[in-house]
Amino acid sequence: MSTPGTHVLAHAEQAPGGTVVRSARGIARRSLRSIVRLPSAFFPALLMPIFQAIAFSGTFFAITKIPGFPTDRSINWFLPLAASMGAGFSGIGIGFATIRDLESGFFDRLRMAPAPRTSLLLGPLFAAWIRGLLVLASVLIVGFAFGARLEGGPMGLVTLTAGGLGIATMGTGWGLGLAYRFRDMRAAALMQLTLFNALFLTNAQAPLSVMSGWLHAVARVNPFTNVLRLARQGFLGDVTWQDSWGGLLAIVVLSVLALLFALSGLRRLADD
Amino acid sequence: MTSTPIISEGLVRHFGSGDKLVKAVDGVDLAVAEGEIFGFLGPNGAGKSTTVRMLTTLLRPTAGRATVAGFDVATQANDVRRSIGVALQDAAIDPLMTGRELLDLQAVLYGIAPSAVKARGDELLERVGLTGAADRRVGTYSGGMRRRLDLALSLIHQPTVLFLDEPTTGLDPMSRITLWEEVRRLNREGTTVLLTTQYLEEADQLADRVAIIDHGHIVSQGTPAELKAGVGAPTLLVRVDVERNDAARDVLARFGELRPTAEGTLGVGLEGGPSQVTAVVRALDEIGAHVHHLELNEPSLDDVFAEATGHRLEGAESAASGEAGGEAGRGDGSAPAAPAGRGRRRSRR
Amino acid sequence: MSAATVTLVPSAPGRGVWWAQTWAMSKRSILAIARQPALVMPSLIFPLFFAALGTSSFGKATVLPGFPRVNSFLDFSLAGSVVQGVLFGSVTGGTALATDIELGFFDRLLATPTSRVSILLGRLAGAAAFGAFQALFFTLVLIPFGVTIEAGLVGVLVITLSGALTGMGIGGFTAAMALKTGSSEAVQGSFPLLFIALFFSSAFFPRQTMQGVYRHVANVNPMSYLVEGVRGLTIDGLTLGHVAGALLVPAAIGVVSIGLSLRALSGRLAAR
Repeated sequence: MSTPGTHVLAHAEQAPGGTVVRSARGIARRSLRSIVRLPSAFFPALLMPIFQAIAFSGTFFAITKIPGFPTDRSINWFLPLAASMGAGFSGIGIGFATIRDLESGFFDRLRMAPAPRTSLLLGPLFAAWIRGLLVLASVLIVGFAFGARLEGGPMGLVTLTAGGLGIATMGTGWGLGLAYRFRDMRAAALMQLTLFNALFLTNAQAPLSVMSGWLHAVARVNPFTNVLRLARQGFLGDVTWQDSWGGLLAIVVLSVLALLFALSGLRRLADD
Repeated sequence: MTSTPIISEGLVRHFGSGDKLVKAVDGVDLAVAEGEIFGFLGPNGAGKSTTVRMLTTLLRPTAGRATVAGFDVATQANDVRRSIGVALQDAAIDPLMTGRELLDLQAVLYGIAPSAVKARGDELLERVGLTGAADRRVGTYSGGMRRRLDLALSLIHQPTVLFLDEPTTGLDPMSRITLWEEVRRLNREGTTVLLTTQYLEEADQLADRVAIIDHGHIVSQGTPAELKAGVGAPTLLVRVDVERNDAARDVLARFGELRPTAEGTLGVGLEGGPSQVTAVVRALDEIGAHVHHLELNEPSLDDVFAEATGHRLEGAESAASGEAGGEAGRGDGSAPAAPAGRGRRRSRR
Repeated sequence: MSAATVTLVPSAPGRGVWWAQTWAMSKRSILAIARQPALVMPSLIFPLFFAALGTSSFGKATVLPGFPRVNSFLDFSLAGSVVQGVLFGSVTGGTALATDIELGFFDRLLATPTSRVSILLGRLAGAAAFGAFQALFFTLVLIPFGVTIEAGLVGVLVITLSGALTGMGIGGFTAAMALKTGSSEAVQGSFPLLFIALFFSSAFFPRQTMQGVYRHVANVNPMSYLVEGVRGLTIDGLTLGHVAGALLVPAAIGVVSIGLSLRALSGRLAAR
């Protein structure tokens, strides 16, 4: 033990309190640091979508031969799905980390700080976006190596990124909201299961025009179908407004709802 | 700055409802004066941490009101947060981060000017003797180092009011004394301190005034000297042959009020003071009770506690041993307290 | 627990005692499954979910060149669902064994004169019983949704038996893993590997429709043959070849995996 210093505490009447952006950045930086320091928590999230892109494209190689299928390369069909799902799950990963913080008590430290409550949401959100971008980039690199092609030009990357980060935003809001409410690993199972279902009860595996039965009925009204259409279009053909607006609208509406869900959960933490 | 930085009036916190209603805090009145070290003493589950969680804006009161640094904890939470420093029971610090990184984050959250962050961090690290460990991950710190880092974190914005929730629970005696010295020093520099503890010695050593809480109520309050004087008579502890225990108890009862003690020992508050000891021994001799152990104790906070609550404070002796469970919101030691402690797994090192 | 009854047994148990011990150990592992429905639910629900998803998404794929003649995609899916369910289930079983080891219960069993092999076989019998249950469960649940078993009632019996053997065969691997590592986390970590093995097979789509390296992998992947026996019974009919495939492939896998787990067991005993 070293000898305590001689510094004398000069009292300040009140701390100014962190600003929204600076606090959020501080929180996000901590979250990103954990990628390097606890890689075992991030690597599965990175490898899973890569595996998904390859496995789905290989297993369901032949489905592009179904009449009316919008591409003749199965990797073009499944790469955007895996990439945007993977990006979406980075939001869920943030939810996991928040559960750990709630369990360890670290979250109390954040809550006691005079930083705006919105920064407690925006910090994790920034972190989810950066993690999501890492996932997107990795899946894309592998996907291109396996023969994926951007049929609609570079704009396709923009729409894929928009779709992926959109899902990441919803995933973050949803994940945080559940974490604040349950405060234990039950929330983790719920986050995964719900996002997984929301994304698979869509045109995830086959276009609406090809599918049949109950899934067709569900996928048609599931807003995530629009998000996947937005994300996927550049790999199937030209990027059009027609294939974009529905997804963008869904992202905006669902993201706002999810973040409000998170904010109300954050407020409830003081109630019980 | 108000001259009474911590005030609570009829503060109540319930958890759950119906059959599962737990009254963790049931009407707590406190007034901590500026420059005071106020000790909040009670066993696990008495309601100490729940009270602190309400005063530090982590938990909304069910009823009653409290002001800290002149701000209402319920309606002016952010003003309260700007004014206070808090080190919570768990010293929950991210084991993946280094001490300096945690200080940087804390500085950002408290709005310390970017140009001042580095210097402030250095000062505080030096102050708590962690300069050498600043760039090590907190996961490698000892329990005492963690508590000192936690204290440094709580001082980042130079608060005038400091809350310390069981600052030395689980620490070895050396680390405990180091922390006590630091708390005294902070207090000399003008910081008002509210500290919760389950250790009588800690309250006795540090606190200007003490409140004893049990089952969510404050059962006694005053300076340690006042409280001890209130108990009055010194306690005579006697151990005799087991078969003579009952007879000896009757004898002792003639000299004053019997006091709760550990199993196998008899205790009496000697109304006539120390001069009665010989009379007691003689009386015991007359009934043929062979005295194995005789001890005269001036009133301690332990006696105050026993007098006020009817039971001894557990852990009074086994201070450093790990104790069961968390306390936040536990109504009493026996209730599983599902709603309150939930989600907060405590591990102490 | 039955430990009390086995302690009365002399150190060289006769055959009857050996059976009683194995039966007692089996009963324990079967009861453990029945008493923790939350643990096994995913292994019953997920395969059905994927079957439903696949049928709606790929219903039109059954006419593709290389696709076997089937009444519906659901008929094709059944076999994959069975194997998938068993994979989920055996990871749960292996985790339970690893948890026994972690908690010291396994050592307590070893302290009794229970036959070492009974302890292992009891576990595997539990896995077999659950595998049989899963095969029957998936078949019966999917029949109202239009699954037809071309091999008829006998086919259902063979499929159930195949489920039992598959449960034992895959369970042998997770048991070996549990005995070798003694860590429930490691056993759970094996799940992605098993799942990858399943994906690089004909579990979800016919091998004949795949291409290139992927097809080669599926051709040499034992998982393909594990699935195809049961699939033959479902979509083709009762032939000696299909019966042999449905029973002999999992039995062969079992010989290997039980051998591995016996070796892991003796390794653990030797280390004591």
